This record gives sequence, C-alpha cells and structure tokens, in this order.
Amino acid sequence: MSTNSKGAGRIVGSVADVRHEQQVAMRSGFLPDRIVHLHPTRLCNLACRHCYSESDQRQRAALDPDLLCAALDVLRAEGYALLSLSGGEPLVYPALGTVISHAKSIGFRVTMITNGLLATERHDALLDMLDGMAISFDGMPETHNELRGRADAFERASDALQYNVARGRPVAAAISLTRSALADLPDLADHLVGLGARALQVRPVARAGRARGLDDSSFFSSADQARLFLVVHALRQELPEEITIHCDLAPTVGLWQQREAYAGLLGCGRNFPADERPLADLVNPLVITDMGALKPIAFDFDPRYDLMGIDEVTQQRLRVFKRERLAPLQELIGSALSGLEGRGGLVDWFDHCTRMSEQGGPGPS
Amino acid sequence: MPPVTSKELAVRMSKRLANYKLSDAVIAGLAERVLIDGLTAFRFDPCMYGICIDYFTDKLPRLDKLTSKHGIQKWEVFPYGIIDWDRFHVQIAFNVDELEGRGPNRGFGR
Repeated sequence: MSTNSKGAGRIVGSVADVRHEQQVAMRSGFLPDRIVHLHPTRLCNLACRHCYSESDQRQRAALDPDLLCAALDVLRAEGYALLSLSGGEPLVYPALGTVISHAKSIGFRVTMITNGLLATERHDALLDMLDGMAISFDGMPETHNELRGRADAFERASDALQYNVARGRPVAAAISLTRSALADLPDLADHLVGLGARALQVRPVARAGRARGLDDSSFFSSADQARLFLVVHALRQELPEEITIHCDLAPTVGLWQQREAYAGLLGCGRNFPADERPLADLVNPLVITDMGALKPIAFDFDPRYDLMGIDEVTQQRLRVFKRERLAPLQELIGSALSGLEGRGGLVDWFDHCTRMSEQGGPGPS
Repeated sequence: MPPVTSKELAVRMSKRLANYKLSDAVIAGLAERVLIDGLTAFRFDPCMYGICIDYFTDKLPRLDKLTSKHGIQKWEVFPYGIIDWDRFHVQIAFNVDELEGRGPNRGFGR
C-alpha cells in the first residue's frame, strides 16, 4: 500500500511537472517574458514633448506602496515574472526601494527605464537591486535636448550610462525616434555603444499622450518604418557582435507565422476555461498606471478594456474577470491578428493594438 | 590612399539608409524585397550590386519564390549538410541602383 502511494505520488508529481513545463514553455503573445509594466507615478523631472504618459513636474499622483505590494503578490501568483518600472521618472517615486525589495523577495526580476538624470551615486543602493536598466534617448544632443526641454539632458543621460556601466550594471538604451531623428541613429548608436550600452531598443515615437501635439511630420510613414527597419539591419552588421539591437517594428508576415503565441488568450473556451489559466497567459504585458488602473498592453490602451483598480486585485476577482470580461480583449487581439494575414510591410504590434482599441472596434459596450 | 575597409563601407551604408537621400519608393521596394517569407536575415553588407544579405533557414528555400522577387541580382544556397542537415545558408544580392558608392565585388562563398 505504501509502495503504491509512493508510486502514485511520483506519477502525480511528474504530470504536474510536465504541466508546469508546458505552461512555462508556452508563449504569451509576442513577448519573451510575462511582464508587468508599472508606472508608480507620472511625476517627472522632465516634460518631454513626445511623452506618451504626459508626465511632468505637476503630476503628483503616486501609488500607495502597501496596495501595490499586495497587488504584486497576486500578480506573481498569476504567472508574471518581470516587473518593468517606468513613469514618470521612477527614481522620484518615494517608495521605490520598498517596492523593488518586495518584488524581488517574491521572485520578480526587476528592470527600470529612466531618463538618467538621477541614476547617479545618490541612488546606488536602489540601482544595485535592479536586474537591468535602460536609459532613454531620442537622438543626438540637439534633437534629444530639444524634445526634453533641457539643455544638458543628453549630457547627463550619457554620464549616467557611463557611470552605471562603470559600476558593473547591465545598461541598455531605449531609443524613441521622431521621423527627423532617424538620421541621428547611426551616430547615436556609436555614441551609446562607446559608452558601454549592451543593448539598444529602438522604436518610432507613438502618436499618444503629449506626442499628439507634435507636427504630423514627426511620425513615421510606412516608408519611414521600412527605412528604420533597414537601418537597424545595417547597424546589426556594423556594431560589435555582442551588442543586441532590437526594433519594435516587426515584419507582418513573421508575426502572422507566429500567431500561435496568442493561443493562451484566443484558445480559451469550453474546453480550456480562461479562469483556469493564470492571467499572465492571457494578458501580456499588463500595465499598472499611476492612478491604479490595471490595463492590457499599453499605458494608453483604451480605458474600456481596463481590468480593474489596483485596490480590487484579488485572485478571486481576477478569476471573475477572466470568466466574464475577457471576450472584448480576445476579439480585439483576434481581429488584429486576422488583419495581418496576407499583408506585407512592417508593424509596431503593441502600438497597432493600442490604436485599434481607441477606434471603437470590437470593444466592450 | 588607404583601402576602404568593409567596416567603413558598412558604416556608410547605415548612414546612407538613414539620411533620407534614398527615396521612399526605393526604401519601400528594398524592404519588400528583403522580407522574404521564411528566411531570417542575419548579415547585411554592401556589395557590387547594391546590398547583399545572408539568411539562415531551416527549410529548403523555395527558389521559385526567390526568382520571382523583383531586383534580385544573384542568389546562392549553401546546405550545411552533414554539419546540420536542417540548416541552409542563403546569400542574395539585391540590385539597388540608387545606392551611391556601392561596395566592391565581395563575391559569394567567402
């Protein structure tokens, strides 16, 4: 009897291991990880002209750290593995140390995107806790400083990059480009790699938030997207092999071929009930705004798709969301994926989905 | 006069692509040619035709699809064979007349 029990235990254990491995191996959308993008505040020491979250010195809202840590506990249990801090400027959020410590203690890897102005020795203790950081750039000094409204923004961001590399931290550069700044990219890439950046993440400026006030000529046409795509290919050839350069624009054909990455979200139904899946298999990335809203995909995703407020996050309520309110997001992503079939060219996938959410599409009533 | 290195040529290529001197139509056409179904580009060099691109694929490339693409000047397929049966290296030269100062005859099979 005892032998049988042990044998049954082993079988159950191995089945559970296989299920766990399958869940880990299954992709959740086009991201390599299951990510929470956290905007704990929109307070910022800059007021960039292209800021999608319209952050600046006047934004005083900030998330309550106790509420936030409690929500992170639930989200970790729901399968999210990476906490990506953004803002506003995360380094002006007073409870940042508490939140990072807590997130690390429950198994999150934590990364941060910063404008670099405060990523100095003053915050060494915080910066040492991070698994990675990216400093944002918009072009060479003239372009960068003009968009950021500050004459020394480029110099200080560059200094921060160099300082943090010297401290042995893995640092990347997050590059947002207006159309005219594309010509800066080769020189900017050389500059950043020369300072020690290990990776470059490049994307066109999104038509969101304060960027809506920019001139139409600031945004990429489809030909400009193709130009950026080709430049990034050329840079991959030119830069040292160990430098990763990633562009948010992807060939539409390639995404269509990888559409099974959304099987977790779109395959839910009678046989695979959504409420039995972790949220991270269904909504990825998940965004938490400074006002405490949980949103799918992007900060500016239409509010009609919001999951709930941060003060409402429990596994029980998330289960109800998955069971009763997931359909509009499934319809939107399904429709966006269908639209890729037979289409050529390039797409900024998450921006594309976000713009679709604003268009009334198959949104919630 | 010192010879132009391939690194210098490559740098000039990224700048030439980025500086808007090539028209939108040329860029769009080139991107359309570069995005070949099922192939992953991993090298991007200037060559005597314009731009040479090296791809890897785990499926035998559909040569009819390659030859139907406009602007492909030359292509070669290298099966890895006994080293890796499911891997093919495809080199394609794209004709880009508008690219000033095109590279030297890099030659295939280097």
